[in-house]
Amino acid sequence: MRDEVVETVRQYIIDTYLPGEDPRALGPSTELISSGILDSLATLDLVSYLEGRFNIELDAHEVDTASLGTLDRIAQLVETKLDAG
Amino acid sequence: MLAGLDLFGVLLDLGLLLLIIYQFQLVSRSFFHVTLLASVGFAINARLPLRFRLHFFATLSVASLAVAFGFVNGAWLLVLGGGLLAICHLPITFPWKVGALLLAGLVLAALRAGVLAVPWSPSIWPILGSMFMFRLALYMHALRHEKVQPTLARGLGYFFMLPNVCFPLFPVVDYATFTRTHYEGDAAATYRTGISWMLRGLVHLILYRLVYLHLVVDPSDIADLGTLAQHILSTFLLYLRVSGEFHLVVGMLYLYGFRLPETHRLYYLASSFTDFWRRINIYWKDFMMKLVYYPSFFQMRRYGATRALVFSTIIVFLATWLLHSYQWFWLRGDFPVTVEDGLFWVILGGLVVVNALREARRGRDRLRGRSRWSGALAVRTVATFLVLCVLWSLWSAESASQWLWLWTAAARFDAADVLVIGLFLAAGLAIAGRNWNAPSLGGANRVASIMPPVLRTRVALAALVLAGTPQLVEPISSRGAALIASVQEPRMNERDRVLEHRGYYERMDNVARLSSQVWQTVATRPDDWVPLTETAAWRVRDDFLRADLAPSTRITFYQAPLQVNAWGMRDREITLEKAPGVYRIALLGPSFIMGAGVGDDGTIDHFLEERLHRESGDSIRFEVLNFGINNYSLTQQVVMLEERVMPFAPDVVVVADNATMHRRAVSHMLAVLYAGLPLPDPELTALIEATGAHQLGHQGRPIPFEIGRRLARRFELPARMPWNEAHARLRLVGDDLVGWSMRRLAATARQGGATPVFALMDIVGEGDMRAVPAMKVAGNAGFTVLDIRDAYAGHDLKSLQVAEWDRHPNEAGTRVLADRLFAELARRDMLPLAARPASGSETHTALED
Repeated sequence: MRDEVVETVRQYIIDTYLPGEDPRALGPSTELISSGILDSLATLDLVSYLEGRFNIELDAHEVDTASLGTLDRIAQLVETKLDAG
Repeated sequence: MLAGLDLFGVLLDLGLLLLIIYQFQLVSRSFFHVTLLASVGFAINARLPLRFRLHFFATLSVASLAVAFGFVNGAWLLVLGGGLLAICHLPITFPWKVGALLLAGLVLAALRAGVLAVPWSPSIWPILGSMFMFRLALYMHALRHEKVQPTLARGLGYFFMLPNVCFPLFPVVDYATFTRTHYEGDAAATYRTGISWMLRGLVHLILYRLVYLHLVVDPSDIADLGTLAQHILSTFLLYLRVSGEFHLVVGMLYLYGFRLPETHRLYYLASSFTDFWRRINIYWKDFMMKLVYYPSFFQMRRYGATRALVFSTIIVFLATWLLHSYQWFWLRGDFPVTVEDGLFWVILGGLVVVNALREARRGRDRLRGRSRWSGALAVRTVATFLVLCVLWSLWSAESASQWLWLWTAAARFDAADVLVIGLFLAAGLAIAGRNWNAPSLGGANRVASIMPPVLRTRVALAALVLAGTPQLVEPISSRGAALIASVQEPRMNERDRVLEHRGYYERMDNVARLSSQVWQTVATRPDDWVPLTETAAWRVRDDFLRADLAPSTRITFYQAPLQVNAWGMRDREITLEKAPGVYRIALLGPSFIMGAGVGDDGTIDHFLEERLHRESGDSIRFEVLNFGINNYSLTQQVVMLEERVMPFAPDVVVVADNATMHRRAVSHMLAVLYAGLPLPDPELTALIEATGAHQLGHQGRPIPFEIGRRLARRFELPARMPWNEAHARLRLVGDDLVGWSMRRLAATARQGGATPVFALMDIVGEGDMRAVPAMKVAGNAGFTVLDIRDAYAGHDLKSLQVAEWDRHPNEAGTRVLADRLFAELARRDMLPLAARPASGSETHTALED
């Protein structure tokens, strides 16, 4: 499940914010926010995408580097939400 | 654990960093000591097992309190901060903890405002504030939402974080990031990044010094488009101080394994306002996003994403405005809410909203990975920079009307102004066209370098150490060596020197606008170091003089006795009538003539008279009369000489002033005009009326610009000129005011049979010997002109000033001035001495012997 989430979100980020980049270069632990790939607006777009794609609901305090900073952390968050739901 | 060679390399770099901090006296003296502590601590920390490192960091952070503040005040800081930390962990529910923290905050705020006397030094307030005013909110947020278990080491390390003790302005580090990033990733790479960012910080701080000392233009000196552009540019560049300090702080934290976000990344190259907001102070941005923006957005998003975005962004900027004033309160003790702050944050917020909406609709144009030069990007980046420069100048202005008036100078320009501005713009476009910050996964956008990063950093550090040794630069370029030497000590620029000794007639309370240098000086003054204007020796008058010394008073001023005689002079009692055979010298001038901070036997007249009697073998009786009054301007000296000095029949009249005499003349005239007082001379009246500044004294509301006042009068609303507009108009005739004063002073002295002498001198300093136009004016008016600004050169300057926080000459400094004045007068055969010294320099040497 986690790999599937990582792959789905990786593709979304490459298509939306890094077109032309090699998807393999975006690893599960690549920093998305501190590296500037995701800014505040992009992070909010990602939140909308995750909520729509996985049918989950995020809270305001979850929109930070600790939860959305890497593909790994995003997958973990999604998994937790799906398990709780 | 770090390999021996890597550890040695980092320690070598730290040694070079310490040398640079020492050479350039950067940040503060305590910062050097704290960096030394951090360097020694690094060598130990890097060798410790990982599980002990956070405890070691917390211990070192607490130890830094004592290093910076001494044991007693360091302990107070620990107790106060420890108390706040303890409240966070009380066994009560979360809302009660928040309530208890608010209550504790209110008590501390009351103490900060001076409601009660406190047993600790006031100097710990800004640091206590910077440690807790924002981080407490993030800590409580983490306690509520994060899974990380708080420990004592985490808490102490987070709040007392090394090197916070040296920086009142400190990045708002997020607690969750602080704990999560500790030794996340390769340690050696983390240390190398830390060194590189600390180097960047030092470069920013040295550039800041260059801008502060050599580029800043005071608003009162803006005369044309060139000086206006220089003022606006330098105001924005002064922010280098903050970015430099933040780089130093974050770099030092990297040495202890905290991989915090990069701050202030190429912020002068932001290509839009949202881009600027994201780059500049990323810690503040993240703090606002976490506690304000995202909660607001999530609350509002049911009304649509666009509305939520606009609403949340507006809330963020309003909160930033308010929290800046809150921050100011803890740092400086006042809570400024000014029109200029409001305009700045509202306009910047508005620009960010517009940008954010554009990005939300069209997507952010990142020019991903593009390394080619782009004209569109260049224009956008330069335009953003220019708008930010303009906004920054508004933020830094004393008032909005003063800022508006500055722009009238843009109408005066010549070809040189246009050429220089054009060259700057061209250079800006060339640099800004490259996308320096495009996010890239493969690092393809990085600038190619022939050296590996570690070596590059080390070479740069070594180059800075060499450049910081003027003796090595001197054989290559003496001008370069002088420039480097000029930025190697923390000193005030000309504008701040004026602010430091602001006159009584400065009506505006612009403490919040004081620069850091002035503020640091003011903040260290003891409570009894009050201006003369607040003492019994100061007498306000309702005439052209505006104020003078109250006759027959005896006070303590700057911790020294000050006696005013029956004639209103800072002198012993004397008779008006000059006894036969007496040679009288009258001294007129501001504080360094009156004697600020020296006793009655330590004034310049006392030492000069003593010297004259010694050199003449007591064959002639000399009387040196002190007519000096704090902050007196040349325009005031005109009336002083005519009404008070000449009745004493002096043989020589020495009028002393410094290079900023035109500023004080303007300020005095403003006070006279504001009070609606008559001017003492038709020539002066014509000069003032030609500027229109006499409208300052009209009845009515202050309304800017002639057109505004005309409009007001049309609606029968009485209107006068605002203070700042009158100031701006008068400053254009500052030199004319000096010229009028010089002519009147010289003529009055000669008519009374005295020889007029003008002495250019100052309070303790290196002595800036650049030409001052007033010297030529004084010579043309008939003065014998003495330039003794370099009187203190060759002495240990600190030993000549009355206090660490006040550069008025003490008794030793005043004696230096008196001896130099004597030497210059003697050299020009202006003294009836039997045996004269051959030259000033010989006299000087003899004195030192």
